[in-house]
Amino acid sequence: MTLASFLPLAIELGPQGFWWMNVLFLVAIYSLLGLSLNLINGYARMFSLGHHGFWAMGAYGAAWFTIQFHGHMPGVPLFLMSCVFAMGVAAVGGLLIGLPCLRLRGDYLAIATLGFGEIVRIAIQNSPREALGGSLGLEVPRVIMDVTRKTKADFRVLMVAIGFVLVALTAWAIRNYIRSARGRAMLAVAQDETAAGLLGINPVRSKVLAFVAASAVAGLAGAVYAHYQGIITPLEFNFMEMVKIFLIVVLGGLGSISGCVFAAFLLIFVEQWLAKLPADAGFFKDWWQVEYAAILVLLMIFRPRGIFGPREITDVWRDLKAKWAKKRSAA
Amino acid sequence: MLVLEGVDVYYGNIKALHGLSIKVDEGEIVTLIGSNGAGKTTTLRTISGLMSPRAGRITFQGREIGGERAERIVAQGIAHSPEGRRIFTDLTVRENLDMGAYLIHDKSAAKERLERVYTLFPRLKERASQSGGTLSGGEQQMLAIGRAMMSRPKLLLLDEPSLGIAPILVQEIFREIEQIRREDGTTILLVEQNAHMALKLADRGYVIETGRIVHEDEAGALLDDPKVREAYLG
Repeated sequence: MTLASFLPLAIELGPQGFWWMNVLFLVAIYSLLGLSLNLINGYARMFSLGHHGFWAMGAYGAAWFTIQFHGHMPGVPLFLMSCVFAMGVAAVGGLLIGLPCLRLRGDYLAIATLGFGEIVRIAIQNSPREALGGSLGLEVPRVIMDVTRKTKADFRVLMVAIGFVLVALTAWAIRNYIRSARGRAMLAVAQDETAAGLLGINPVRSKVLAFVAASAVAGLAGAVYAHYQGIITPLEFNFMEMVKIFLIVVLGGLGSISGCVFAAFLLIFVEQWLAKLPADAGFFKDWWQVEYAAILVLLMIFRPRGIFGPREITDVWRDLKAKWAKKRSAA
Repeated sequence: MLVLEGVDVYYGNIKALHGLSIKVDEGEIVTLIGSNGAGKTTTLRTISGLMSPRAGRITFQGREIGGERAERIVAQGIAHSPEGRRIFTDLTVRENLDMGAYLIHDKSAAKERLERVYTLFPRLKERASQSGGTLSGGEQQMLAIGRAMMSRPKLLLLDEPSLGIAPILVQEIFREIEQIRREDGTTILLVEQNAHMALKLADRGYVIETGRIVHEDEAGALLDDPKVREAYLG
């Protein structure tokens, strides 16, 4: 039995639909990465530049696990277990880098984590071919669906659905964590470590916890990404990806959950749209990286605290409704 | 209750406390007065674990606590309302107070503490849902003391509660400090530049100069001491 039997069979997507499914899937992945980085750089106010490293660890962890146990167990449990394994690998990575580094502050933490992210990529790139594929990458067997010409569309739809369920779960978990005693302790440490310590909060433990949880989510994003792509190469997890994730967090507003998802959509859509333009599209195509940068600069000028600031989309919506109601009553 | 014996504390290579010895008995209000930079704040920071002594002993209820981390020390019943108040400006008043009860896991006990703090400082109850940053200086000071009181401390360390606050509010805060001692039975070590007010409130006092205790006596006697009057009471 495959999962395909649960889906409306043979969804006709067409090239446009395929493109959209790809965009939406990437939005889900980058939302997961953004949400988890937001936990570190937004709520906990640390400055990590190594998130792409945990993403890569998750992707390669899942790929390795899937290759090892492919054929030894049914597809769906293998998929799930590879995701759990990936989260574990990334979480252990987060713990190992977090324990020594989280005593560093600001710029020093940024440099240490940046180094870590690059070490992960370079280590994979130079790994033996039979272990992690080296610079040629790893092929990930399809395990949850047989992907043929006929079911390619279904597979994409399924992965988009999985992606967004994970985004929703992560957003829910983060929101609840922030409202819990431990979560508020994390916010307190972010604002004033000394004062938090005086109240009985262990600042290092609070920071390491946030860091490890965020790494695990990045690892999960990596696992799903690896299963979707079917082949992963170390170069995909380069520093530009880190910049992209960081931009999503900043654009969305440090500490805003819905802002983060919205920013991921905006960034990925613009990027994919510009990249899709035909090669002879002239100015737009030739200058797409410049345009991409220009959009970011404009956003930072007009919305320096992010699209929503630290607020949620529901807050923005409530304010707008209040404004409209006021206008109507005035008229 | 609290005894410091020959405590040396350094900032890097600079010696801030020179063999400092003080003691605070249960139920007392003891004040440490002295001018700027004399080592008052450093003393409190050393007791609450923000700094470690390089020499000497600090015992609290017969147990050595010198050099332990701050979060361990607060668990033993010493709460510190720090210099500059250090409230969480982005959190609401209520959330600030809840953070003070971080180590109290029993919800009803935490609620009881909250009610107690609201009784002590009714203004905090009125402002419960406001963010800490919107409070006036005096209210922030009340919040800092209230937050420290949330952990039900046996010993409360207060660092300059009168600093930068309107005189009328200072009166109010000092009345509340007295009330905390009387009604909660909390022992208080108070650091102040406003020596006159501090000595009027306290039972005993120490005068600290450049990291050394130069004088100690009953608070009333210090108030009448000509040398103290000249140096600190203007």
